[in-house]
Amino acid sequence: MISAPDVVAFTREEELEDELCSEPPLPEEYSVPLFPFASHGANPWAKVAGSKFTRDFILISEFSEQVGPQPLLTIPDDAKVSGTFDLNYFSLRIMSVDYQASFVGHPPGSAYPKLNFVEDSKVVLGDSKEGAFAYVHHLTLYDLEARGFVRPFCMAYISADEHKIMQQFQELSAEFSKASECLKTGNRKAFANELEKKLKDLDYTRTVLHNETEIQKKANDKGYYTTQAIEKANELASVEKSIIEHQDLLKQIRSYPYRKLKESEFHPYEPEAALDPAETGCDQDLSTSDQAEPSPTHLYSHAPSYTPKLIKAKSAKCFDKKLKTLEELCDIYFFTQTLDQLHQIERTFRGDVCYLLTDQISRALLKQQTVTNFLFEDVSFLDEKPPEKQYRGCQELSQDAVDRKCSEESPAPKVVISLGSYKSSVESVPIKMEQELEDTNEPKMSESVTFEPQENLDYLDADIKGSISSGESIEVLGTEKSTAGLPKSESQGSLPVSPSPQAGRSRVGSRRTVSEDSIEVLSTCPSESLIPEDFKASYPSAINEEPYLDDDEDGGLRFTPRLNPGDADEREDLSQQESLAQVDSACCIGKESPNFLEAELGQKPCDEEGVVRIPPQPSRPAEQGLRGTFGGFASHDGISGGLLPCELDSRYPLGSRELSKSSLDEYSDSTSYMSSAASTCSDRTPSPAHPTCQGSERHKKKAGQNALRFIRQYPFAHPAIYSLLSGRTLVVLGEEENIVKKLVTALSIFVPNCGVYTKPVKHWVTSPLHVVDFQKWKLIGLQRTVSPAGVNVLHALSRYSRYISILDADSKTLRCPLYKGTVVSRLADHRTQIKRGSTYYMHVQSILTQLCSKAFLFTFCHHLHLPINEREPEESVAKRRMNFLKLQLGLANEDIKIVQYLAELLKLRYIQEPGQGGNPVLRFDYVPSFLYKI
Amino acid sequence: MSALCPPPSPAVAKTEISLNGESPLLAATFAYWDNILGPRVRHIWAPKTEQVLLSDGEITFLANHTLNGEILRNAESGAIDVKFFVLAEKRVIIVSLIFDGNWNGDRSTYGLSIILPQSELGFYLPLHRVCVDRLTHIIRKGRIWMHKERQEHFQKIVLEGTERMEDQGQSIIPMLTGEVIPVMELLSSMKSHSVPEEIDISDTVLNDDDIGDSCHEGFLLNAISSHLQTCGCSVVVGSSAEKVNKIVRTLCLFLTPSERKCSRLCRNESSFKYESGLFVQGLLKDATGSFVLPFRQVMYAPYPTTHIDVDVNTVKQMPPCHEHIYNQRRYMRSELTAFWRANSDEEMSQDHIIHTDESFTPDLNVFQDILHRDTLVKAFLDQIFHLKPGLSLRSTFLAQFLLVLHRKALTLIKYIEDDTQKGKKPFKSLRSLKTDLDLTAEGDLNIIMALAEKIKPGLHSFIFGRPFYTSVQERDMLMTF
Repeated sequence: MISAPDVVAFTREEELEDELCSEPPLPEEYSVPLFPFASHGANPWAKVAGSKFTRDFILISEFSEQVGPQPLLTIPDDAKVSGTFDLNYFSLRIMSVDYQASFVGHPPGSAYPKLNFVEDSKVVLGDSKEGAFAYVHHLTLYDLEARGFVRPFCMAYISADEHKIMQQFQELSAEFSKASECLKTGNRKAFANELEKKLKDLDYTRTVLHNETEIQKKANDKGYYTTQAIEKANELASVEKSIIEHQDLLKQIRSYPYRKLKESEFHPYEPEAALDPAETGCDQDLSTSDQAEPSPTHLYSHAPSYTPKLIKAKSAKCFDKKLKTLEELCDIYFFTQTLDQLHQIERTFRGDVCYLLTDQISRALLKQQTVTNFLFEDVSFLDEKPPEKQYRGCQELSQDAVDRKCSEESPAPKVVISLGSYKSSVESVPIKMEQELEDTNEPKMSESVTFEPQENLDYLDADIKGSISSGESIEVLGTEKSTAGLPKSESQGSLPVSPSPQAGRSRVGSRRTVSEDSIEVLSTCPSESLIPEDFKASYPSAINEEPYLDDDEDGGLRFTPRLNPGDADEREDLSQQESLAQVDSACCIGKESPNFLEAELGQKPCDEEGVVRIPPQPSRPAEQGLRGTFGGFASHDGISGGLLPCELDSRYPLGSRELSKSSLDEYSDSTSYMSSAASTCSDRTPSPAHPTCQGSERHKKKAGQNALRFIRQYPFAHPAIYSLLSGRTLVVLGEEENIVKKLVTALSIFVPNCGVYTKPVKHWVTSPLHVVDFQKWKLIGLQRTVSPAGVNVLHALSRYSRYISILDADSKTLRCPLYKGTVVSRLADHRTQIKRGSTYYMHVQSILTQLCSKAFLFTFCHHLHLPINEREPEESVAKRRMNFLKLQLGLANEDIKIVQYLAELLKLRYIQEPGQGGNPVLRFDYVPSFLYKI
Repeated sequence: MSALCPPPSPAVAKTEISLNGESPLLAATFAYWDNILGPRVRHIWAPKTEQVLLSDGEITFLANHTLNGEILRNAESGAIDVKFFVLAEKRVIIVSLIFDGNWNGDRSTYGLSIILPQSELGFYLPLHRVCVDRLTHIIRKGRIWMHKERQEHFQKIVLEGTERMEDQGQSIIPMLTGEVIPVMELLSSMKSHSVPEEIDISDTVLNDDDIGDSCHEGFLLNAISSHLQTCGCSVVVGSSAEKVNKIVRTLCLFLTPSERKCSRLCRNESSFKYESGLFVQGLLKDATGSFVLPFRQVMYAPYPTTHIDVDVNTVKQMPPCHEHIYNQRRYMRSELTAFWRANSDEEMSQDHIIHTDESFTPDLNVFQDILHRDTLVKAFLDQIFHLKPGLSLRSTFLAQFLLVLHRKALTLIKYIEDDTQKGKKPFKSLRSLKTDLDLTAEGDLNIIMALAEKIKPGLHSFIFGRPFYTSVQERDMLMTF
C-alpha cells in the first residue's frame, strides 16, 4: 500500500508547468539531469571516453619537502596513457592532505627522535571536472636525510569510472597494501643500511675527533682550554649524541617487525616468486627478509664492506641537498618487486568494470559447481596454483624431484572401479575395455588395453567388408575395465605394457590379439541384430574381458604403489576397493549419504541401479594416503623415451597409458600396435587447449572468431557440432595445416572435456590414425598428402570412417550423422548478427552452461534411474528417463543424445577418483551417416 | 582514534541521537571551508551511547580533514563529490560528500560526512551506495535551502538594517538531521537484521520437497521472475515474520553476496521502516493488515521494485529501469522545484511539499502486474524440485542457473557494445539480439537486461530510452490538446 499523503497527489503537470513559467526556474546546478544516461550523447560507455586519459593507470607521487607534491612515475610508463591529463595538478590534489598526522621527531619528554611506524591511509577521491577518480594509497618511507626522517608518498590508481573504484575498493586496497608493504620492507632495509653506514661514519668521526682532542690536550701546556679545544670537545659531544640517536633509530627500525607482527592486520609482504639472487643482486639475507622478516639481525645485516668517512658536524642546508629518489630509498629487489606488483594491479583492474565484476561473480559460482566444471570450463584459474607454473616447475624438476613431486601432488592409486557395467543411456556398445583407472600417480606405464575376441572379429569381418559407404556407422571409442561376472573371452586380455622395450614387445606380442583390425571386424556388423549378445547395447551386457592380470603373473614390468609407512590400512582399503571394483558396481550408490566426505574411500558412489545418489561435493580431498612411486623405474632411467616429469602428473594431458605408449614408441617398430601408437605420438605439439593457453583471452577470442567464421561458411556446421557434443570423434581432413588448425580451433570450443584440464583435441596429425586415437581425441586435425604415406593415412581413415565424422576441409564436405535438434541451432545460427569472436565465444559458453545444467539434472535426478518398486521393469525406467528428457528438459531428437553423453561424462567423472584423468568411453553407435556438401 | 588531536575551538553544536539498537556509526558531521580559518565544523550528530568511542575533539579533527585539499576543488557545476577515507592510524572510515553552495552570502565548499570504525568496513561497503544516494539527495535540497536563506537573509538586512550572524544558516541543520537520523537507523537495523552473505538453501523455499509445499507454484514463479526483472530489488510484506523472511532468503539466493549484505530481514516484534535502496527487505504488516509504503522513497530507489505480499500471494512490479529512472528524475526535479518555489520554512517542510504539490506523483500506478512471462525461471523451478533436497544438489543447480544468467547478461552487453561501437551508434537490432542470444521470450529479455543494467548502468536507457522518451513527449503533447 502506498502511503496516504502520497496517494493524494495526482498529476496535474500542465498547471505546474504554467506556474513554473511565471517564476524563476530552478538553476540547473541545483537540479538533477532528467536523462542521466541519455542526454548529450551519453551512453553506458561514454564516461571513459570523456576523460583526458586513454585508460586506467597508476601514478606514484611524493610530497617533496623541497618542491611540494610532484608526480614521480606512472604505470604503464607511457605518455600516451595519461594523455593530456595534468599529472602535476592531480598530484597536488591527492597529496594535499596530511592524513598521517602522527608525530615524528622529538616527542615531548623524549630524549631522542622517535620513529613512528605510520600505517597507510586509503582515500577515494575524484575530480569530476576532469573525469578522473582515484584510489589513493598513502604511505610513508624513511629517509635519514629527510625532515623528521619521513618522506610521504602515495600510489594512486586513476580511472575515469568512479563506480569502478568503489566497487573494487577492497580488491584494490588489498593489492596496493601488498605493494606498499613490499616497498616499505625494502625501505626499512635500505634505511637500516643507511643508519649503519652513518653510524660507521660517526664512529670514525668520533675517533678522529677524539684523537685530535687528545693531541690538543697534549699540546696544551697552558693549563686551560683554548676556544679551539672547546669547539672540538663540543663537536665530539655532538657526534657522540648523534651516535646514540642513530643507534636508537637503528634499534627502532629493527624492532619494527616484532611490533607490527603482533598486530592482527599486519600482513608482511611475501614475494611469490623466488628471484635469482644473482640476477637481482640481492644478497643472501633476502630469503630471510622474504619470510615475514623473522630476524631483524638477518634482515638488516649488510654484507658489503663500507669505508667510513669523516662527516661534518653541520649538515647541509635543506635546499642544498639532493633528496633520494624512490629507487634509492628502497632496496632494489623490493623496489623491482613493487613495480612488478603495480604492473600486475594495472593489468588486473584496467578495462571495463563489468567484465571484472562478472568474472568475480563467475568464479564464485564456478567454485560451487565443481562437478560439471570439467566439461567446458577453464578451471585452471580456479586453482590456487596456476597450472602453467606447475607445468613449468614440473619440467624443471630433477628425476628425484619427479618422484617426490609425483608422490606429493598426484593422487594415490585409486580404486579400480569396474566401469564395464556402467549403464549407459546411450545406445553404445563398449568393445574395448581397458583399465584406465590405474592412476598416473601409480605410474605403472601399463597399457592395459584389451581387445575383442578374434573369433568375434572374424565372424563380423565378413559382413562389414565393402560396406564402408553404407549408412550404418559404428563409433568406436575407449572404454573402461570390463564388468566382472560376464562371460570371459579367451582372447581378451589386459595388456599391461612395460616401460622396458623388450618386455613391452614380448608383452604385446603375446597378449595382443587385435589392434585396429578389431575395429575392422566390428565394423562389419551392419546392424545391431548381428552383434553377438555380449555386444548388445547397454553396458551391463558389455563385452567381457579378461580380468586384470596380476603383475606378478604377467611378467611385465609394472609400477607398484609404494605405500607410505603406516599405511597398512590404506593398503587394505585399496584391496577392498579393488575387490569392490570387481563387483558389478553398475554405477550405483547404495545409500544416500549427506556425509559423503566421511564415507570410506572404498564406498561406491553409485547404487546398483546406476544412479548417482551422493550429491556432488565442492571438492573432494585428494587421497593422500597412497603414494605412487616408480617401482623399478630407476632401472629404466636410460630409456630415451622416458617420461617427462610433467607427463607423470595425472593432471596433465598425457595419461599413464599414453605415456607408456610414447615410451614404447621409441622402441617398437614391428607390431601393428606400435605403429599405430606412433601415429598419434609423432606429433608432440601441445594442444592449444593445454592449460597454458586455454585460459587466455586471446585463445578464446581466436577460437570464437574461427567458430563464427565456421558457422557462417559451412552450412553443415550443425551436424559437425552435434558430433562433437555427442561424443563422436570428428576428424578434420585437409592438406594445409593452417586451414585445418583453424577449423580445429574453431570447433574445439564445442568439445566437452573428458579429462581434468585438457580438451581432447589434436590439432594436427600427419600419420595414420589408430583406434586408440579415437578414445583420446574427440577432435583431430589430419593431414592429407599425396605421398605413399598419405595413402596410408587415408586408408586408415576410411577404415574407421563409420565410427567417426569426417570434415574434409579441401572438398568442403562433411560425413556424419544427421542432426534434427534445436540446441545446436541456438548455438550456431549462421544468420547470427554477433560481430566479434569474443562475443560469440561468450554466447557459446552460456548455451553450453545451460546444457551442463541439464546434464547435471539428468545425472543426479535420483528418481529417474531407480525403479519405483522391485517389480518395475528396466524398460519402464528407461521410458521414464526418456520422458524426462523430452518433457522436463524440453529436448527433442538428437539433443537428447547430447545431454545423455554429457551426463555420462559427468557420471564417469564423478565415480572416478579425483585427479584421475580418465579418457572417454570407447564405444560405437549404430548411426547412419550422411554426406553433406556446400 | 588517536588522542593527539588539537582541541576544538570554539565548541561545535552537537545533536545526540537515541537509537534502539547498536549503532555502527560513530558520528556524522557537517563542515565548511571558511575563507579565513580554513575547514570548520558546523555540526556534529552522534548516537547517544554510554561509551564514547570518539571525542568531540577527535570528530572535529577528522571532519576538518575531510575538507583538506578542497581549496583546490575542481568540480562541475552542482556536482556532489564523494570522498572515502580509510584512516588506519585513526581506526576510522569516513565518507564525505563535498559540494559547493551559497551560504552567508559567500560561495563556499561544504562537506557532510559520516564516520564509522574501521572494523565496519566490510559491513559498510555494500551499503555505500545507499548511504551516498540518500545523503546526496538531502544535500540537493539543503543547497536550495541555503541559497534561499541567503536571499531571505539579505532581505532581512535590507528591511531591518541589522545583521544577525547567529541566525544565518542554522535552519539547514534540522533538514540534514532529518536524513542523518534515518541513515543512522538504517545502519543500526542492518547491523542486526541484514541478510547473511551466505544463505543456507535449507532456510528457503527451494528446500521444499515439492514446488507447492511452502507457497503456491505460480506465486513463487512470479516472485522470482519479477524479482530478477527488477534488478533483484524487492519488498516482501506479510503478517508473519517467519513467512516473510523465508521469501526474503529465497529471493536473496538470486543475489550476489554483496547484494545480500544490502538486504534486510523482517523484524519479529514490529516492522522496520521501508528503506530506499536496499535490494530485498522484509516488512511486517501492522495490526490492520497493511503496510504503508512511502511513495517518494520507493521512487528514489536506484532500481524498480517488486512488491510481494506473502499473505495474499500477489506480486506487482514497477516499470523497467529506463522508465523508473525517468519517473524518478521527474519526481526529483519536481520536488526540488517545489523547494525552490517555497517561500517560508513552513512551506519547505517535507510533508507540506508532498501534500500541496500534486505534481509529485506522475503516475500512481507504479506497481503493476507482471506483464511478461519468462522461460528461464519457469524452467529452473520446474527442474530444481526434481533434485533431492537436503543435499548440495540444488545449490549446485542454482549456481549453474545464476551462471547462465550472468553469462547471458555479459554476452548481451558485449553484443550491444559491438553493435553500437561502444555507444557511438544507436542500437537498432533488438530483434536480432533476441534471436541471436535466445532471448525471444520478453520476460527472459527483461531478466537478462536487468542483470546487465546492474553491471552496466544506463543500458536500459540506451536501448529503450529514446523511443520511450519520444512516446512520453508525444503523450504530453497530445494531452495539451
